[in-house]
Amino acid sequence: MHFSFLDPILNYIHGDGLVVLPQMELLLFALGILIFDFLLEKREKHLNAFLALLGVAASGLGLFMQFQKYRDVRVSQIGLPVLIGFHNSVIVDGFFLVFAMIFLAATALVILLSVRYLNIEKEQEGEYYALLLFSCIGMMFMASGIDLIVLFLGLETMALSFYAMVGFLRREKRSNEAAMKYLLLGAFSTGILAYGFSLLYGLSAFRRGFQPSTNIADIGEAVSNRFQYSLSQGGIDWLVILAFVTVAAGMFFKVAAVPFHQWAPDVYEGAPTPISAYVSVASKTASFAMFLRLVINVFGGSQTTNVFGNSQTTWMYIISGVAIASLTWGNLAALTQTNMKRLLAYSSISHVGYILLGLVAWNETGLVGIMYYLIAYAFMTIGAFAVVIVMRQRGLIGDELDDLDGLYQRSPAAAFLLLIFMLSLAGIPPTAGFVAKYFIFQALIESHHPVLAVFAALYIVPGLYYYFRVVKHAWMKKPGGAPAPHMSSAQAVALGTALFVTLAAGIYPDPFVRLARYAFGP
Amino acid sequence: MGLFHDHLLSVVLFTPLVGAVLLFFIPRDAPMLHRVVGNLFGVLGFLVSVPLVIHFPVGGNDYAFRETANWIPSIGAKYALGIDGISLLLVMLTTLLGMIAITSSWTAINTRTKEYYILMLLLQTGMLGVFMSLDFFLFYVFWEVMLVPMYFLIGVWGSERRLYAAIKFFLYTLAGSVIMLLGILALYFNTAKMTGVQTFDVPALLAAAQHFPESLKVWLFWGFFFAFAIKVPMFPFHTWLPDAHTEAPTAGSVILAGVLLKMGTYGFLRFSLPMLPAEAVLRAKIIHILIVLSLIGIIYGAIICLMQKDMKRLIAYSSVSHLGFCTLGIFALTPQGLSGSVLQQINHGISTGALFLLVGILYERRHTRLISEFGGLATPMPNFAAIYLIITLSSLGMPILNGFIGEFTILQGAFVVNKAWAAWGTLGIVLGAAYLLWLYQRVMFGTVTHDVNKTLPDLNVREYAVLLPLVVLAFWIGIYPKPFFAFIDKPVEKIVQQVNPKFYEQANRALPPAAPVAPPSAPASLEVK
Amino acid sequence: MTPSGYFLEHLWLIPLFPLVTAALMLLIGRRLPHAAVSFFCVGSVFLSFVYAAGAVYQLLAVAPENRVYQQILFEWITPGAMPGPGGLFNFVADWGYLLDPLSCVMVLVVTGVGFLIHVYSIGYMGHEGGYYRFFGYMNLFMFSMLTLVLANNLLFLFVGWEGVGLCSYLLIGFYFLKKSAADAGKKAFIVNRIGDTGFLLGIFLVAMTFGTVRFTSQMLGDPVAYAGILETLRAMVDQGRLAYGAPVLTGIALLLFLGATGKSAQIPLYVWLPDAMEGPTPVSALIHAATMVTAGVYMVARMSAIYQLAPVAMDVVAIVGATTAIFAASMAVAQNDIKKVLAYSTISQLGYMFLALGVGAFSAGIFHLMTHAFFKALLFLGAGSVIHALSGEQDLHRMGGLWNTIPATSRPFLIATLAITGIPPLAGFFSKDEILGHVFNRHNPGLLMDRYLFLWAIGLITAGITAFYMFRLFFQVFRGRSRIATELEEHIHESPRSMTTPLMILAFFSICGGWFALPVLWGENNTLDTFLEPALRGVKDEIGAVELGQHTLFKEYLLMMASVGIAALGIWLAYRLYLQFPKLHSKVAAAWPRLYDLLVHKYYVDEIYDALFVNRVKDLSTAFGVVDAKLIDGVGVDGAGWLARVISRISMWWDNWVIDGLVNLAGKITRGLSVPVRMFQTGVFSSYAMLILLGLAILLGYYGHHMHMIVRNVR
Repeated sequence: MHFSFLDPILNYIHGDGLVVLPQMELLLFALGILIFDFLLEKREKHLNAFLALLGVAASGLGLFMQFQKYRDVRVSQIGLPVLIGFHNSVIVDGFFLVFAMIFLAATALVILLSVRYLNIEKEQEGEYYALLLFSCIGMMFMASGIDLIVLFLGLETMALSFYAMVGFLRREKRSNEAAMKYLLLGAFSTGILAYGFSLLYGLSAFRRGFQPSTNIADIGEAVSNRFQYSLSQGGIDWLVILAFVTVAAGMFFKVAAVPFHQWAPDVYEGAPTPISAYVSVASKTASFAMFLRLVINVFGGSQTTNVFGNSQTTWMYIISGVAIASLTWGNLAALTQTNMKRLLAYSSISHVGYILLGLVAWNETGLVGIMYYLIAYAFMTIGAFAVVIVMRQRGLIGDELDDLDGLYQRSPAAAFLLLIFMLSLAGIPPTAGFVAKYFIFQALIESHHPVLAVFAALYIVPGLYYYFRVVKHAWMKKPGGAPAPHMSSAQAVALGTALFVTLAAGIYPDPFVRLARYAFGP
Repeated sequence: MGLFHDHLLSVVLFTPLVGAVLLFFIPRDAPMLHRVVGNLFGVLGFLVSVPLVIHFPVGGNDYAFRETANWIPSIGAKYALGIDGISLLLVMLTTLLGMIAITSSWTAINTRTKEYYILMLLLQTGMLGVFMSLDFFLFYVFWEVMLVPMYFLIGVWGSERRLYAAIKFFLYTLAGSVIMLLGILALYFNTAKMTGVQTFDVPALLAAAQHFPESLKVWLFWGFFFAFAIKVPMFPFHTWLPDAHTEAPTAGSVILAGVLLKMGTYGFLRFSLPMLPAEAVLRAKIIHILIVLSLIGIIYGAIICLMQKDMKRLIAYSSVSHLGFCTLGIFALTPQGLSGSVLQQINHGISTGALFLLVGILYERRHTRLISEFGGLATPMPNFAAIYLIITLSSLGMPILNGFIGEFTILQGAFVVNKAWAAWGTLGIVLGAAYLLWLYQRVMFGTVTHDVNKTLPDLNVREYAVLLPLVVLAFWIGIYPKPFFAFIDKPVEKIVQQVNPKFYEQANRALPPAAPVAPPSAPASLEVK
Repeated sequence: MTPSGYFLEHLWLIPLFPLVTAALMLLIGRRLPHAAVSFFCVGSVFLSFVYAAGAVYQLLAVAPENRVYQQILFEWITPGAMPGPGGLFNFVADWGYLLDPLSCVMVLVVTGVGFLIHVYSIGYMGHEGGYYRFFGYMNLFMFSMLTLVLANNLLFLFVGWEGVGLCSYLLIGFYFLKKSAADAGKKAFIVNRIGDTGFLLGIFLVAMTFGTVRFTSQMLGDPVAYAGILETLRAMVDQGRLAYGAPVLTGIALLLFLGATGKSAQIPLYVWLPDAMEGPTPVSALIHAATMVTAGVYMVARMSAIYQLAPVAMDVVAIVGATTAIFAASMAVAQNDIKKVLAYSTISQLGYMFLALGVGAFSAGIFHLMTHAFFKALLFLGAGSVIHALSGEQDLHRMGGLWNTIPATSRPFLIATLAITGIPPLAGFFSKDEILGHVFNRHNPGLLMDRYLFLWAIGLITAGITAFYMFRLFFQVFRGRSRIATELEEHIHESPRSMTTPLMILAFFSICGGWFALPVLWGENNTLDTFLEPALRGVKDEIGAVELGQHTLFKEYLLMMASVGIAALGIWLAYRLYLQFPKLHSKVAAAWPRLYDLLVHKYYVDEIYDALFVNRVKDLSTAFGVVDAKLIDGVGVDGAGWLARVISRISMWWDNWVIDGLVNLAGKITRGLSVPVRMFQTGVFSSYAMLILLGLAILLGYYGHHMHMIVRNVR
């Protein structure tokens, strides 16, 4: 039979609404949690987690519907496939689909990891999960928005939820300070970003019809027009430069690239460990998504031909400079860290360096490499944090390196997982981390950056040193007084997933490579 | 048989891995079970590799037992295995020493036996993979995978300074490997640009490399050089070796010296030589550098042995000297140099492996490696002394033992290119006699200096079982090396044809009673003319 | 007609017998009783002797020019192609045996004397521990030595060459509990190794020059498949590709000779032989007198074809030989250890042999080799018997008057002494006289003085010194009044039969050993010469061949007179100094303290070598150790690690303290305000923000500058 009152909804879902379907579902569940939370006793709060997971699953379903639709569109339409809605402000394409997958996976894993952790911290609240979902919504918009406003809103949605989550441990001084730092600096950087956006809006009029626009495609056209024009005039277009620099700076802050990284170690250390993982994985990935979108669509046109005769983006040097700085600072500072979370913070900074190098290469391999790197990075980093989370017990924070001493004797499984994730982070085959680095290096070689390649490759060595300092503590030191960590089934599932992807993407990378290709495929 | 036979290499490659996986599921508190399973698969690993020798097409012109399967089609990486005579010998050496090393640790290792045997087996798979893979990507994966178990073997079961030695080994070798990775990528990219095919297939890439511009070849050569030079190790890059060898547990040292170092020389043979620029002056320059480094290695390594106080350290440095011979032979670019080098790699595996085993036997009894702690051992342990002597002699190149054949052939190969090279090389032989005999004298001769040593038990059955195969091999290669040469003749000839064709273009000055190029047919034994 | 027969076809058994017993001894010897050990080991050597004799007999059956028998068991080393005289060729070294007149002599001497010494050892080593080990090593030595003399190519000869070196190492160090013994063994091995480097390089050069290392292709059928050095050399000379005095030949000859100086204890590598006396006396007799040390002589004779074409090398050989002869003899004069005296005399006699080779009298050299084997073995065995009788005493000062106490030792010893002194008609006389004769004949009568005359003079003087120190030895041991320690006095005893019988037999040979090479002038022609001639003929008779001058009776007799006379002089001197006026010799010594001191300390050669080479190498070793630890590791590796850690500390300090330091500082200033405001006003914000702005400015400037460049380029 047929319920007429459903028609508008169905039409909506098959029409314009489809492009935001996953976000909508997440929103639904997030709100659901907030309400449902009131009905729960203190000790059954963890049921929120199930609800949240359900939300993620539902959103995944929506994502799948989008995927099918997108596929149909691709085969039916000639030229660039478009699944655009909301007055040309939100798009669904391979890029979005892949990123959205990462976001959902990360969110799910973090949820799984949070339950026991929050119990120990006695902070089992519904808001927590709601916030997780909210931030996930923000990320999705960051990946799917093709309009400055949407992008900005997405970013803010994500950021605000994060500010709250980082400071979620109310009784923890570390947590509060971290939250405050994050908030203030975040706000500041967002301000810079907003300034850059306003410049872009201003620039956008420089094209046919002289209509200002917030659509990044239009802006891109305008920017490259201006660029080429000023180049032909033999003058420097400071507006374009300023726009790029401000936008880039804002993004660099979000991905914690040197010199905009100072917040990262403090925040990672202060935040509840699952959130540290979430910050270092999800928000970073989302910011990269947005950054890529902007760079490709807006600044892709500002290119000149280099000495090798192949065209090269003019801002390449900035990116490579930042990349080298991040590699150096991240790797070297990590060498002597004694706190696992700080160590991972610096290591994540160095990984940003690698990812940015993929952008420097500015060729297909490079973009695929970035995508692959982000996938690998997401799972191995969450895995590494997960081990730290498992270490957390009543009476033991467990994020100091010494807390890992003799982990092997106390819990071989944890020690083994740690080893694999460290290997992957260091980029030793057969793990995802290696293949990711492989693509970056290949991209650099193909784009004639041998020096950068050697530079990046050699930084694997100090990297290995500090990752294996962790391994050394876990495998070769005598166990201290710390009790054997106990792993909840949820955590086990999360760790298992992370392990599986880390190894699978290393031993049989092909499907993941195709996935990465899909993100940039036509 | 069919299936087994078509996938012989895979079987050999993964047998140890299977063992490792099996051990993975055995509870930690059953050391005896670990030992049994470990040894079982050690022996099995060797047994399954024997058919390789039996079925190997001697004199064949291409890689044998080839296997190919798609692995990462999106980048053209394949699971491609195959061996020629050179790799065959190294594979056999690996399986043999692997078995021996595992057996030798029956009593030596009492802690974390499970992990120990898992790692040993993993290590073996890694090393076999390096010698077998015909795909650069696969090769690199194995090349690095193998580092991890070795790191743990040194770091967990090593002696006092194990942590330092372990991480030093890892970082040192990794530094070289990552540069090699870039080299591989450059090779891959440029080939793809030239031929339009994206592949990591070793023969294809090396063939393509022949047509690269000289400058690129030079870059590639040095790119690969560091990885191999560190592994071998050649002179300035050798300092990781004494630490690693000394701190590693006996079995670890055996594998390190016996097989791991050969990965470097193998790399030179297989991958570096084709990158050599064809342009005469440039090539001469490079070759000169490499030969000089080899000679320095030979002499430096030998001389530094004289001041060592630690037996293992001494033997470790002697490896630097011996491997110097191997590289000398390789870069002489003559058939004799190359075949001598390959044979010497096997010899070094046998004799130095045995030496480490012997030191390990002493270490098990006395828990020290200091030479000064011993002396006069010939009295309490005559059989030990006898075998030690045989191995020492084989290591210092006494005829009728393996070492001589290798050194002689290498030096002859070097001599025909440049007499001075051979002359310097012979200096290494003199010094070799000096430090080895001095070591032997200090350990074995004289009156027993420490009362503890008076009652040391002589070799037991297991130790005999571990040592005798090596002794037998030493004599075999020394007395009848022909079959071994038969395995490597063809591939070596191929390499020289490819790398140094001028050698075969030498004017055929006619002379009535001079032997022709064709090898003289051997007279039936005892034939009387 | 080609040689054939059972013994020839089983040539390979000759070295095999001792090898088998050696293996037996070293594997299960410890469990065997003395009797069994002696039975197996001595028996095996006897078997070899029988087979050798049989083989020689069957070889003699054919015409002189056909007296070559070769046997290739299998191809030993086949490393692949190398450039040769006719382009590329596949290098092959056989595992093969060759019996020709030259090896006939050697194999008979080795097995014969070897057998006698083995018999002697039964008695001598009877009370020693490690009986089985001793005989195991001795048999191993026999195997190596026989391989050496029977090898059909240079490389296989090198096997024996190294093998004897090894056995000498093992046997010198037989009393391995004595450090001096172990040191001596090591020294012997290493010094020999130095010579061997020359030998190896020589082999390479031979292989490159002739495309083979096989001595000859005779009796192997196809001369192309089985090229031989001799034939190839002949062909190349015929084609004029190699000429008399060709540098490459000189090179080969000198390199090989370097090997010979090591093995045969010639200057500069003789230093190991005196120390080698640490070994048991039978070892000294067998290895360091009769057989091994003559390997060098044999090898040079074996390559005579090449040496004949290398005049420079020949002169070097002759000069080194003569110098060594007189040098060693002079040192023997001042030695007081009975075995040391004999050791130096051995060196000096070997010098004679090389002198002979150097003037092209190869057969004479071999002749002296043979006779020397007899009487020097006898001397050593006799000395051993004396030492045995005096229960281990070796110092000449504590001997004397043994002539009648141990007659079975003293009589043969006298014979040997006379033989080495060169008193007719004993063996030594003929061989030494022939050598001196040949040297003299090379001297050009036209000139008053030339190098050959000079060499001859040296040889003559050496003969005199030899006579002197040998009789000094003899008188001090057997004549005069006894200076033996009283506690030894009572149990002086004659050695057992097993020891004395070999003495007798050797004494017999020391007498008649020379008779089948009588000088030409005494009726029939020199048998040994004619027997060896086909083996030593060389490739071209006219070039460089020994042109013996006219055998005028007068000259011959004159030479004999000279040598006998000087010998007599030496004996008379010894008699005066050591028997007639026993005090006199110390007075003489006191008269020339410098010279005496020099002789006693053997010209300080060992000390000089230590100072020049041994210690320098040790210093180098220490230095390299420092380089590794401090430079490569310290600066290079750990240095890099240290630097990285320092930078890391700095960056960490920056991130933690500079920033948060500002925070706290500012925090102190504005206390009392609520948290957010404080945070807002203080460091965290301002300093972080400041940094961010700084970064922003940098990026901006950089991008701008870069664009400026681009624009410039576009313009």
